[in-house]
Amino acid sequence: MSLDFTLIFRILIFPGFTFILLLTMFCDWVERKIEARMQNRIGPLYTGPAGILQPLADFVKLLTKEDIVPFNVRNFVFKFAPIISLSIFIFSFVFLPIDGANIISGSSFEGDLILVLTLVSIANFLLFLSGWSSMNPYSAIGATRVLTQLTAYDIPLFTLALAPAFLAGSLSISTIASKQHIPFALLIPWTFAFFMIALQAELEKDPFDVPHAETEIVAGYETEYTGRRLAFLKLAKDVQIVLGAAIAVELFLGGPYGPILYGSSAFWCTLWFMLKLLAVVAFTEYLTCIFARLRIDQVLSVNWRLLLPLSLLSLAAAAGVSLWLNPLWR
Amino acid sequence: MRDISVFLKDLSNILGSKILQTRIFRPEKICIQVQAGAHRDAIKFILEQDENAGISAITGIDLGEKIELMYHIRTYGTIITIGTEVPKKNAKIESITDLIPGANFHEREASDLLGVFFEGHPNPKRLILPEDWPGNIFPLRKDAPITNIPSKMEGSGHVEQVSYDGRLINIVMGPQHPALIEPERFSLKVEGEIVRQVEPRIGYVHRGIEKATESRTYLQNIYLVERVCGICNAAHAVCFCQAIEAIMGVNIPSRAKYLRTIILELNRIHSHMLLLGHAFLEVGYETLFHYMWRDREPIMDIMENLTGNRVITSFITIGGVRRDLREEYIPIIKAELAKLKDKIDFYRQIFENDSTIKVRTKGIGVLSKHDALKLCVVGPVARGSGVRIDVRRDEPYAAYNEIEFNVITYDDGDSWARFMVRLDEIVESINIIQYALDHLPSGPYRVRVPRIVPAGEAISRVEAPRGELFYYVKSNGTAYPERVKIRTPTFSNIPSFIHIAEGCNIADVPAIFSSLDPCFSCTDR
Repeated sequence: MSLDFTLIFRILIFPGFTFILLLTMFCDWVERKIEARMQNRIGPLYTGPAGILQPLADFVKLLTKEDIVPFNVRNFVFKFAPIISLSIFIFSFVFLPIDGANIISGSSFEGDLILVLTLVSIANFLLFLSGWSSMNPYSAIGATRVLTQLTAYDIPLFTLALAPAFLAGSLSISTIASKQHIPFALLIPWTFAFFMIALQAELEKDPFDVPHAETEIVAGYETEYTGRRLAFLKLAKDVQIVLGAAIAVELFLGGPYGPILYGSSAFWCTLWFMLKLLAVVAFTEYLTCIFARLRIDQVLSVNWRLLLPLSLLSLAAAAGVSLWLNPLWR
Repeated sequence: MRDISVFLKDLSNILGSKILQTRIFRPEKICIQVQAGAHRDAIKFILEQDENAGISAITGIDLGEKIELMYHIRTYGTIITIGTEVPKKNAKIESITDLIPGANFHEREASDLLGVFFEGHPNPKRLILPEDWPGNIFPLRKDAPITNIPSKMEGSGHVEQVSYDGRLINIVMGPQHPALIEPERFSLKVEGEIVRQVEPRIGYVHRGIEKATESRTYLQNIYLVERVCGICNAAHAVCFCQAIEAIMGVNIPSRAKYLRTIILELNRIHSHMLLLGHAFLEVGYETLFHYMWRDREPIMDIMENLTGNRVITSFITIGGVRRDLREEYIPIIKAELAKLKDKIDFYRQIFENDSTIKVRTKGIGVLSKHDALKLCVVGPVARGSGVRIDVRRDEPYAAYNEIEFNVITYDDGDSWARFMVRLDEIVESINIIQYALDHLPSGPYRVRVPRIVPAGEAISRVEAPRGELFYYVKSNGTAYPERVKIRTPTFSNIPSFIHIAEGCNIADVPAIFSSLDPCFSCTDR
């Protein structure tokens, strides 16, 4: 029985569902604050200390709003795409070690890296479906842009994510994380840089935020959503950002393990994980602030002409390095 | 400039007895009255003489039995007016759009508001009035009913929607659209991602200000014309007051001239910074948008301190300005402007070096010099295409003849060049204000003028932030003007959008559009 309680606690409270949601809202606040300060604004200020509760307040506010489904959009996809997308993003955390171990011990298996990346793609595809089912021209354009960008940037992202797997000699995220005595970002910094660019595109942030270009297509695929569906859609996007950053942390920055680890390993691991996560989030936010938006054709040409060949090259380089590196670690 | 008498002699040789009379508008503008039909010959002659000539405006006045049409041609840095009269009953005149493509919108406006039919016009559709406006009511005619206008005609209510025509998809932008802050509609015929044809439609917020001026006194009208456009309000007030002062023959004190120059240039800085910030937002560069608008605030504060108001300044009056500049405030203005100058340098570096901005603006939306002249564009749009026109230099008003400044031109003609013109003009404006503050003459800042304006006509031009602003005022000796014609810069610049956008990627349309700095509040005056 006691084991069951621990399991339920781990799934629902820490480091599972509640923790991830709180972490998401915290990251959202950090993002907004960083962006505001970089743009010489103040950012959230009034809700909670320094506005830290603002993302929660926004979420609750949306939950209380009227839920409007357009008349000719009475379909399953429109209604459930946000919640399914959110669930998939949250579920993906099961395979990431946060406090030194996975949420469910033993959930890690050889190949869960590929599963997580696939799940992320599926959840992204659901975002496309949500826009596509909205029967709105702006949503449709936004949705096609999501899909165009997704097909383009998933390939380099997958390719680059495999480079750490080569170095660690494993396809399991927790193994990759635990094998990084030196973070791979220091070992193969170019791969990390390309990964961050692909991640930026995957998360639809500047200069790749074409699906959201509000001066062109209103809110893109979110246009027709209101009330709690919009709340879940926005939450799904926020969780996606945290998940993307978390994958970057696990694969390139040594996961939850850090130089100082004494006493409660769960505490230190979580702390290191969050610090690294916030560093990645701050970096993506920095990129967002210093770039203008590209056009969709420019986004694609950056990908196919530049990022894809480079990612293939860096994968080959990582495979070469791993031949020499893997025996050292055994 | 050529001798005007030689020009007149040549013109009279060509037209002979078709010239009915020649009169002089104040200040020093010539109006050549010709027979109906001969206006084309006269305009053709001017175009042959000066290839840079273009049309500034078409003014129509209801004279009772007849309608007088005046073609204000911009040539040799001044305005030459070709006047002609058409009977009111069957008002018809040959179009000049084939001679000057830029006359397209002016003719459509005159046809809407005065009921003159322009024969041979390529696109004689409604431009300003609603589609369901009764066909026999023309608002600017003196006998137009003020009440009992039927609100809707039979069979109206047609709404243009997205439609398909073979390979072309018709996409309607506006009247409500996130990229368009003001209500106007553009119907874009799109083939794939490429725009093939653009048709603009304005008039959604037309307020009939030209008509409204006819029932207000001159003093009241200053406040009315200021509200044509909130951003460039000082330009409108100065332009209107200059026309009245010209009719009255009033010379304003030189301190007032300098103060007018200062407020006009503050207006220009504020308008350009507003546009550049907006342009950054259009290309998705939010950070710089916030920076730009933050740096614009000190200018608003200076305007508030100088005039008492942040936006609509109500600073200009007939005979001078309303308030004096406090001596102790001058150093503060100078300090703020010096700070702004450094920041503009920073923005200039960004515009020149940032790769994402370059990729979105360089070589996008090119307007060649030839087309710019043909379409009669004004202001930074023309200067971005290498056309050196600037009313401040061509025909100095206020204190511009005493202040040295550069007319900024770029030859690229793309969106980037148009933005750069504005950035450089901010620096020029700062220099002008600094010079004006250093050399501010002492003395009175206004003269008292009588309330009744003598009969007469005047043309006044001001370089508003968006380009040449044109006012024609006709007074009949009463307390109310007979006719006030306002031609705003955006009205001249919209036709160029039709031209530029053709062949562009649809995602570039908002950025191109903002590079023209359109103001539909101005256009729908």
